[in-house]
Amino acid sequence: MIGVSTKNAASGDAISNKNQSAKDRKSTERVVHVRVLRQDGPGQASYWERHEIPYELNMNVISILQRIAQKSCTQDGRPVPPVAWDCNCLEEVCGSCTMVVNGRTRMACTSLVDALLVEDAQEIELRPMSKFPVVRDLVVDRRRVFHALKRVQAWIPIDGSFDQGPGPRISPDEQQDAYPLSTCMSCGCCLEACPQYTKIEIVKRPEETVEELGIRREAAFHREFMGAHAISQAMLFNNHPTGRMNAEERLSSLTSQGGIQMCGNAQNCVAVCPKSIPLTRSIARAGRAATVWAIKKLFDR
Amino acid sequence: MAASTEQSQGSSFLGKHQFLVYRLFSLSGFIPVGAFVVVHLATNASILAGPEAFQSRVDMIHGLGPLLPIVEWLFIFLPMIFHASIGFVIISGGLPNVGSYPYVGNVRYTLQRATGMIAFAFILWHIIQLHWMGAALGGGAFDPHRASSSAATAIAPMLVGILYAIGIVSVVFHFSNGLWTLGITWGLWTSSAAMQRASWACLVIGLTLGTLGLGALVAMRAVDVEQAKSIEERMEQMHRDNSVEKTFLPTSKQGA
Repeated sequence: MIGVSTKNAASGDAISNKNQSAKDRKSTERVVHVRVLRQDGPGQASYWERHEIPYELNMNVISILQRIAQKSCTQDGRPVPPVAWDCNCLEEVCGSCTMVVNGRTRMACTSLVDALLVEDAQEIELRPMSKFPVVRDLVVDRRRVFHALKRVQAWIPIDGSFDQGPGPRISPDEQQDAYPLSTCMSCGCCLEACPQYTKIEIVKRPEETVEELGIRREAAFHREFMGAHAISQAMLFNNHPTGRMNAEERLSSLTSQGGIQMCGNAQNCVAVCPKSIPLTRSIARAGRAATVWAIKKLFDR
Repeated sequence: MAASTEQSQGSSFLGKHQFLVYRLFSLSGFIPVGAFVVVHLATNASILAGPEAFQSRVDMIHGLGPLLPIVEWLFIFLPMIFHASIGFVIISGGLPNVGSYPYVGNVRYTLQRATGMIAFAFILWHIIQLHWMGAALGGGAFDPHRASSSAATAIAPMLVGILYAIGIVSVVFHFSNGLWTLGITWGLWTSSAAMQRASWACLVIGLTLGTLGLGALVAMRAVDVEQAKSIEERMEQMHRDNSVEKTFLPTSKQGA
């Protein structure tokens, strides 16, 4: 960014420092306009709110939200409670800060303000994910994401705590194949962008207990699409030599209501995945495995 | 185990057999519905070789006689009704978002649904107009003994021609793009490179079918109705003479 074209290194540094400080002074004058879709609680009406924060170098959406919390007042100076959001690792590994930034689902931590301002120089728009019930502001209830992982048993069962000896060897090729799938952080971007994945918001009935509500919610989760992430995790474990021991149970879940057949091949999942996981390959492989399994079941029983 | 507990939770028939039904839906789009579309477009394209060629193809199909309606219902209409019904269930469950995510795959997803609905309306109108009700809906019914002339008359109005062009393009897109998604659904092509290759292959299939379909439409509209009629009459006469000869051959021998 800073042009250093002098032969003399020392003078070059001096020039770059001068440029740097000039830039900093200038940058403090710049402001970033942010529009946030807020909601005070579950089931309540959402509303837009405008914020204005001073521009800093290398900001991301998380630091924007931190500045908004510091100011706690809108663009026109009205004091408001800080915007609520979820985040944890700040390095695109935990998957908790997913939100809709400038109309596209992504991780707040790796959404850099400089890049966002190239997309839209006027303002940055922040919305909660639209496929999950809003808890507050940008915080959503993503338990359906984890419910789907339970559905497909996205784990390897370990029977007891005793030493079972070394596991089967995995070839480097298989490792190469499986590694990308193992980087899934359950962020839910694939679900947010999927036209086949629609929101489920179960509202508590007055006469209902919390337990009954939970049962009703789980039943709804069971009926609807599990999503690309769960299909991909099922394939990760079905292609693992130890995980393969439960392959039939996973295939049974994958072909149950809300399973792979719900995929509409829009392939948005793979386009928005922050970890570039080959989700459509997993879906097609699950489709192939289900085809083979269904034929086997038909002729082997 | 996992599945039995999942499936025991009160859900509809369609829900319980969702996988099977959706796979049958996918298959039915290829066989018999898709296969029929290909045969149908190829048959129509014989008009490019003139009314005589088209008439002889139609005669071959109508040679099935009383079996024809059974074949039609069993292998064409019922599978189409099944494919369309499940198709509408699928469409109603989705939420197109091509505005937010304008990727090629997503555009194709949206177009697949749009062309499915256009194809449904078009085919319904096409069958009712040419097959069952004919003149009552404008244009005129298809007469298997006057194949080219009756079809040319029915699609002669400009508006009908335009609607047919839209219908044909929609059907061809829906079929060839559907072929690509069928390959993913059943697990024929799994890697993104294989999907890309299959995509090109489906594009070639689509362009070929589209050329056949639109070529047939243009050629049919360009048919000289009077000339076609005389050809058809001559062919029908030949047909009748042949059958008369066959039927009365023994008697005529007896007479001699």
